[in-house]
Amino acid sequence: MVSIDDFGTFETAWCPGCGNHSILKALKNALVKLKLKPHESIFVSGIGQAAKAPHYFKTNLFNGLHGRALPAATGIKLANPRATVIVQSGDGCTYGEGGNHFLAAIRRNINLTLLVHDNQIYALTKGQAGPTTSQGHKTKAQPKGNPSENFNPVAVAVAMQANFVSRGFAGMMDQLSDLIVQAVQHPGFSLVDILQPCVTFNKINTFSWYKERCYELKDHDPDNWLKAMELSREWEEKIPLGVIFKGNKPSFEEKLPHPTGKPLYYNKPSKEKIQKVVNSYA
Amino acid sequence: MAAKTKKKKQVEIFALGNEAVVEGALLAGCDFYAGYPITPSTEIAEEMARRLPHLEEGVFIQMEDEIAGLGAVIGASLAGRKAMTATSGPGFSLMQEHIGYASITETPLVLVNVMRAGPSTGMPTSPAQGDVQQARWGTHGDHPIIVLSAGDVQECLEMTVTAFNFAEKYRTPVILLLDEITAHTREKITVPDPDDLYVCSRLLPSMPPEWYMPFEDNMRGVSPMPPLGSGYRYHVTGLTHDDHGYPTSKPKEVESFISRLFRKIDQFFYDIQIVDEIQCEDAETCIIAYGCVGRAAEMAVQMAREQGEKVGLLKLKTLFPFPRPIVEKMLRQCSFVLVPEMNMGQISREVKRVNNGQSKVGTINRIDGQTITPGEILKKILKG
Ligand SMILES: Cc1ncc(C[n+]2csc(CCOP(=O)(O)OP(=O)(O)O)c2C)c(N)n1
Ligand SMILES: [Mg+2]
Repeated sequence: MVSIDDFGTFETAWCPGCGNHSILKALKNALVKLKLKPHESIFVSGIGQAAKAPHYFKTNLFNGLHGRALPAATGIKLANPRATVIVQSGDGCTYGEGGNHFLAAIRRNINLTLLVHDNQIYALTKGQAGPTTSQGHKTKAQPKGNPSENFNPVAVAVAMQANFVSRGFAGMMDQLSDLIVQAVQHPGFSLVDILQPCVTFNKINTFSWYKERCYELKDHDPDNWLKAMELSREWEEKIPLGVIFKGNKPSFEEKLPHPTGKPLYYNKPSKEKIQKVVNSYA
Repeated sequence: MAAKTKKKKQVEIFALGNEAVVEGALLAGCDFYAGYPITPSTEIAEEMARRLPHLEEGVFIQMEDEIAGLGAVIGASLAGRKAMTATSGPGFSLMQEHIGYASITETPLVLVNVMRAGPSTGMPTSPAQGDVQQARWGTHGDHPIIVLSAGDVQECLEMTVTAFNFAEKYRTPVILLLDEITAHTREKITVPDPDDLYVCSRLLPSMPPEWYMPFEDNMRGVSPMPPLGSGYRYHVTGLTHDDHGYPTSKPKEVESFISRLFRKIDQFFYDIQIVDEIQCEDAETCIIAYGCVGRAAEMAVQMAREQGEKVGLLKLKTLFPFPRPIVEKMLRQCSFVLVPEMNMGQISREVKRVNNGQSKVGTINRIDGQTITPGEILKKILKG
């Protein structure tokens, strides 16, 4: 049995009312539903307020560099294909600094889950425009308004036919927790883009801004890619929440020559193996 | 290529420097490679891609860039593998941030940088030794690092094994510097019998998981290291952390943590310092060289000796921590010390730093993408 208490309680550096609190709670609930004990999953995060999340519950954590969580997660998952690897970071870290890794991870389709706390701002550095910040949004660093169009991670992931593409909202915890469970259970690369109000540095995309637009997908068939493409473009007036697209491509690991799929760390080096590889020179 | 079997299981092969690196890595137990292609290091990746699958569960992966390459290596190493990557100048620059991450998280790994002429794209197929100080100081913040070099194909194999051993023993990234010439020289080498080889692997914890402290100090200054996700639950972060791996900024904890990082390398200095002393006993003039220049210098010593000149050579295989005691000894002993290198003086500045006016230090600095020849070195020695 796994209970929410197993994950402990920690003091956080987040503002009161920050969306991160409810995302953390939804995540812990999802881990309980998945029956994953604290030592049974490996979290990989980058740098940012979102990336601090795995510091605030008991787990195995690789807290890496800003933007670079996905490459580390790739190494971990390939070294230990049986591990449940969950990547958790912010919009800036994942789609900005680490944008290239995001595209590569989708193409590679390694079996891992990516949770992005998308507050449409660089929060840790106190509120500059990030990749998902809307055009015209004024910040201290963009005093005349953000000149660039916002990046739409869900549309890009659907266009690339990522194996599992979903969007959640910090204000709808039950659905979010359910999406995380589905994402972890789905093989291959899974994305949960999580809309997250930032009460301090994003005064535009507030809780009520999201509340007015977000709606839960009811009869959508996530196998329908064309429909998913259409839904992924909905943003200004209405924002769909739920599983947007699901693929069934084999994961990267399934294509590796790993006969047993057992974690590589069980595979201790031996003289015989070394001799075999020496002989493979010719 | 026919592999000729000698007495025991010793095998002679005809290999490129880059291939010898792979040979050494596999002998040392490397079973994970991630990287991004770049001249003149690419043969390492290609040979790894060909050979690693022979190891049942060996993994080769080409990543989207060098940042990702070293990131994946760090992840794999923490998850229990012996992992490496290889690159050259531009890629090495991209890897700097992750080198610091590996250093502060004490992640064992081997990074081979085949130096080409720079800065920037420079001359991709010409040799140089311009990344020596970058290897020492390229990543930000105070950190210890081990930097090794190799100057011929046999050394490529041996120093790669050594690099893995140091990485595993001291839980640290190890940088192996080659140059384009050494990497692209093909010559006969001996592959040691695996039974005769010293291969070191990281210490695993013997205590139960609930007692385990991933960054606890001990006599060696190196804690045991279980694979992440094997049941020993722990945190790894690039933030300054306490014994449990959780972030801390308490001055006392930070101080003892960072000084332990230095101590674990410093106190084993004599294990890490590897130099070849060639005809040094009676030398009045000493050449200090490394990499392909070391090879030319060896020839120059021979030529000088034939002319009756008492010349010796200190061939540095460990560049950092700088092998100060042995260099100091030669500075005391010789009236002239010559440091030829293919840069504007990156090791000669170390030699001058420890000289304290004891000897005259001369340099040869070539930055035109051409090698330094034995004749050039000899001429400088004779002039004094
Ligand atoms: C290489 C590098 N560049 C910049 C930074 C500074 N930095 C830290 S977090 C951050 C932005 C974080 O934004 P996001 O990922 O959206 O996370 P949030 O704080 O909004 O949760 C920046 C720019 C850094 N740590 N490393
Ligand atoms: Mg953000």
